[in-house]
Amino acid sequence: MMRFLASRLLRAAITIIMVVTFAFVVLRLSGDPAQIIMGADAPPEAVDAFRTAWGLDQPVWLQYFHYFGAIFQGDLGRSMRDGRDAIVLVTERIPATLALTIPALIIKLGLGIPAGITAALHRNSFIDRAVMLLAVAGFTVPSFVLGLLLVLVFAVQLGWLPSGGQESWRHAILPIITMGVGGAAVLARFTRSAMLEVLGQPYIRTASAKGVPWHAVVWGHALPNAAIPTVTIVGFMVGSLIAGAVVVESVFSWPGVGRLLVVAVANRDLAVVQCILLLVAATMVTANLVVDLLYGLLDPRLRNQPKRAAA
Amino acid sequence: MSDITAPLTLSTTAPRKARPLPPPMVIFGLLWLSLMLATALLADVISPYAYTALDLRNRLSPPIGMGGTWLHPLGTDELGRDVLARLIYSIRMSLLIAFGATLIGAVIGTTLGFLAAHFRGFVEQVVLALVDFSASLPFLILALSVLAFFGNSMVLFICLLGFHAWERYARIARGLAISASGQGYAAAVRQLGASPWRIYGRHVLPNIASTLIVSMTLAFPEIILLESGLSFLGLGVQPPATSLGSMVGYGREYLTRAPWILLAPAFTIILTTLSVSLLGDWLRDRLDPTLR
Repeated sequence: MMRFLASRLLRAAITIIMVVTFAFVVLRLSGDPAQIIMGADAPPEAVDAFRTAWGLDQPVWLQYFHYFGAIFQGDLGRSMRDGRDAIVLVTERIPATLALTIPALIIKLGLGIPAGITAALHRNSFIDRAVMLLAVAGFTVPSFVLGLLLVLVFAVQLGWLPSGGQESWRHAILPIITMGVGGAAVLARFTRSAMLEVLGQPYIRTASAKGVPWHAVVWGHALPNAAIPTVTIVGFMVGSLIAGAVVVESVFSWPGVGRLLVVAVANRDLAVVQCILLLVAATMVTANLVVDLLYGLLDPRLRNQPKRAAA
Repeated sequence: MSDITAPLTLSTTAPRKARPLPPPMVIFGLLWLSLMLATALLADVISPYAYTALDLRNRLSPPIGMGGTWLHPLGTDELGRDVLARLIYSIRMSLLIAFGATLIGAVIGTTLGFLAAHFRGFVEQVVLALVDFSASLPFLILALSVLAFFGNSMVLFICLLGFHAWERYARIARGLAISASGQGYAAAVRQLGASPWRIYGRHVLPNIASTLIVSMTLAFPEIILLESGLSFLGLGVQPPATSLGSMVGYGREYLTRAPWILLAPAFTIILTTLSVSLLGDWLRDRLDPTLR
């Protein structure tokens, strides 16, 4: 178990280092940040002053080390537009994003997993087909289209709900539904196929054959085994609690991290983009790590295996 | 093999029937995709107007069924540009990007997967670390940061989308190539002195192609969704060029006054991704031997 833990931690650390390196390399490849920020017709003295101020006149390897050092001290640079700390700018948006993504996650789990299980238990029945058709539809309708259609119906035609903004809880309903429905569809599809795979295993047949009641077979044998692959995708959803709202926040003008990212990309405010990139990578890697640990708890076979079974 | 052994044993299976028709949903998907392909290929011929042509006397005119005329069957936008013409050129743009990006992703991923399987050791570890890296970040965030750093151009945009899902091909190609080299045929051609190029290109690739093709049908609608999402945010295809996503983004401004600008491309996106998904699921059930 310790070895398992150590290899997972090492992997997580390598991934974070790679993301930091990626951000640095891309940042430096993208041209002279000073020129980009100051504009093409800025006086050379001003550009030079900017370079010195941001440490851009030092050799690249030195910049890389400074960059690493700064990041591990929690210094992620300042917004090149308004001069505030990028990390402050980003963290003050997090609550708004979580106010959408956490309820949406609850909808995804509460709707998607039962639907998937029901469909698998009644394979090829009318229920199965209906759930799967809905799931495919929910999966293929892009979130911005779904969001705008909901706005068209519930805000424009019926006038029940506001179409955008963040003044009251009623403003959150449409974005939460938009995110929840798509995710529930993905989860339903996934849970169904995981369940079907498990239900085809010999140990299910054995349990049925020795007279275990069907509901006990499902609860005691099928569900725990089907939970293992499902945990992966749920982990991914938890990991993207911060990143998952980019498009939906833009549709509903919700002032969260996603909206900030889109605006920062459009303005090429690199410090903010980079800060969000690292934040997302950190949450994603943490979620993956937790999933791996859960795997160890759920599946005793994985504990003693230092390497992945079949990559 | 079964042809040789069959006469020796009593046949217990029924004679092979003619292939059943695919389910109606799949047929619908095929028809819709053919229509989309034909539209993309023949855009210059069938489009009633140039997609930038202005008709200032008929601005925001509604489509047929909402009080419009055959002059502009799907209506016009704020500048009097014909929605049908823009839709046709948007379909061409979106499909072009999706095809290009899917191919790029498949080629990069498969090549890296083969390299990992061939050299093992250090090369394999590097490829696997890269796979972990790109699986650990939502692709949209990665794409957005690259666009922020490099700005936008058409070529960069397609290449960027090409990196979507490369890690899936790499994983599949590596796993299957490793198991293929354990089988007789790869070892046999190697013993005959075939170069690695020949072994992987002529022998291993055809054997694992069906699984790769299924992955491509899964990646294709995802790329359409990504492209339209980025274009919707104004960070993908830039005007005056138009794509399905940027049409939706533009139409959003006129949601209350002229919803048709948004609805036409929105339903085109939905139907296209739906068709590819249905077709992909069906293909996977037929082609993927692990599911039989």
